[in-house]
Amino acid sequence: MVRRRAPSGNHSVTRLSARQRRQLAHGLQYGILVVGVIVIVLLADWDAIRQSFLNTRIAKEGLPQLFTVALRNTLVYTVTGYAFGFTIGLALALMRLSSVGPYRWIAAGYIEIFRGLPALVIFLMIGSLPLGFPGFYLPGGVYGMACLGLGLVSAAYMAETFRAGLQAVPKGQMEAARSLGMPYGRAMVSIVIPQAFRIVIPPLTNELVLLFKDSSLVLFLGVTSSQVELAKFGNDQASTFANPTPILVSGMTYLLITIPLGYFARRLEASREIGR
Amino acid sequence: MTYSVIRGGAVTAIVSVLLLTACGGRPDGANASADPGGVRLVNPGKLTVCTNLPFEPFQFNQNGEVVGFDVDIVNLAARKLGVTQEIVNIDFAVIKSGAALNSGKCDLAAAGMTITEERKKNIDFSVPYFDATQALMAKKGSGITSLDDARAKKGFKIGVLAGTTGLDYVRSKGFDPVQFADANKLLLSLDTGQTGAIVQDLPVVRTWLKKPDIGAKFELIANFHTGEHYGIGMKLGNAALGKVVNESIEAAMKDGAYDAIYKKWFDDAPPPATTP
Repeated sequence: MVRRRAPSGNHSVTRLSARQRRQLAHGLQYGILVVGVIVIVLLADWDAIRQSFLNTRIAKEGLPQLFTVALRNTLVYTVTGYAFGFTIGLALALMRLSSVGPYRWIAAGYIEIFRGLPALVIFLMIGSLPLGFPGFYLPGGVYGMACLGLGLVSAAYMAETFRAGLQAVPKGQMEAARSLGMPYGRAMVSIVIPQAFRIVIPPLTNELVLLFKDSSLVLFLGVTSSQVELAKFGNDQASTFANPTPILVSGMTYLLITIPLGYFARRLEASREIGR
Repeated sequence: MTYSVIRGGAVTAIVSVLLLTACGGRPDGANASADPGGVRLVNPGKLTVCTNLPFEPFQFNQNGEVVGFDVDIVNLAARKLGVTQEIVNIDFAVIKSGAALNSGKCDLAAAGMTITEERKKNIDFSVPYFDATQALMAKKGSGITSLDDARAKKGFKIGVLAGTTGLDYVRSKGFDPVQFADANKLLLSLDTGQTGAIVQDLPVVRTWLKKPDIGAKFELIANFHTGEHYGIGMKLGNAALGKVVNESIEAAMKDGAYDAIYKKWFDDAPPPATTP
């Protein structure tokens, strides 16, 4: 095409048809991709990569503790923290929508503070709590501290999610329940909250994924080798064997949980769309 | 059409290759500067040193500056090279595995680091520059006099720094100690009661106890006489830099500069056994 048009006039060099422009843009995009891949393949030292990141001999050293200890603890920290955050978060959401002013202010203040703080800062604070409150002791030691830390952080996010869910339930639901003679509290518990839950399940699943990753901060609380979670486990192993493969292995283990969970959340979201 | 796509791709390919060659210099070649002695530094004009803060009196923050015994020892080598020292604070696990040195993060590792056969597989050490042992520290009136006492008490936790010889020692005695990421958190755990006693290098414990507020609460329980020697770490095979560091330490031990540094940080003369 280009060749045929070239001799026909001097405009043809500068002016391309829309189709030609699209083709050129396409060509450029594929070109960049291909060159990028080639450059990476050529620049990468594949032996070094295999030796450092895909060293199966060292990866095997972590078994079975990778699953029986590290993944198990990560799940325990996540699930307990999530349960705590869920409870506090729901309470905060109800407080936020309360007709009692101080409840609204307290909930709003909590949410603003704990959404605005990095989780790491909260973990460092929890470690020092007994200094300000002598005799302060959390049951379960580091498990209790992790549950508190992860719970405090996730409660703020979950409160906002719950609030959105509660407000998304059509007003008519509450009004209908009240007109049937149900008291406000009863209507909330039996009619509104169950519907709100249905709405917030996908975002709450995402929150679980986020919390699962945040559980790596537990290492800053100080852990024994039986309390170790995935990130520290990988880092320690990498240090012991002077090879970063265990860090990659830990990362893959996170993905074993986070990818299916993310998929599950998207499925739930999709099925809700269909249900409407 | 095919022609134009291919041409587009070819143009992109050429442009990308030009761009990549312009900015794709390999780090080991481009950034390293050579001095007359054949020493190549990761950052030109600077001796970059990895450490894990704080490890008083070897390296710690004082008025916004990192100072300490190790800092002064490394300054001897820096002066010899005619460069300034720059300190990078990093996880100890990454220091002792050699990862920080191998990845070009720093030239040296000075972190009150004991020379061990295991670590020698991953990093080269300088000549020993300090003798240390592990010590047990607890709150005053803890009632324990040894690790065996600690074992006899149910629920009694020992704290250590992650990745250190202290951890190895306590493990070898059959404990699963609580591991902390830095010395501040280790000391804090003793204060908050998260641990009942901690095992830490004796010079660090001594320096802590000299401070009135720490000395008032805690005491040295036992010295384990583990007979350790600190060495400055460098990348395996970096003989040129190793030579400079060794010569600077040996010269300082002969001409009294070492004794002056020792006195500066420990208020007394080095014990006669220090000279290797």
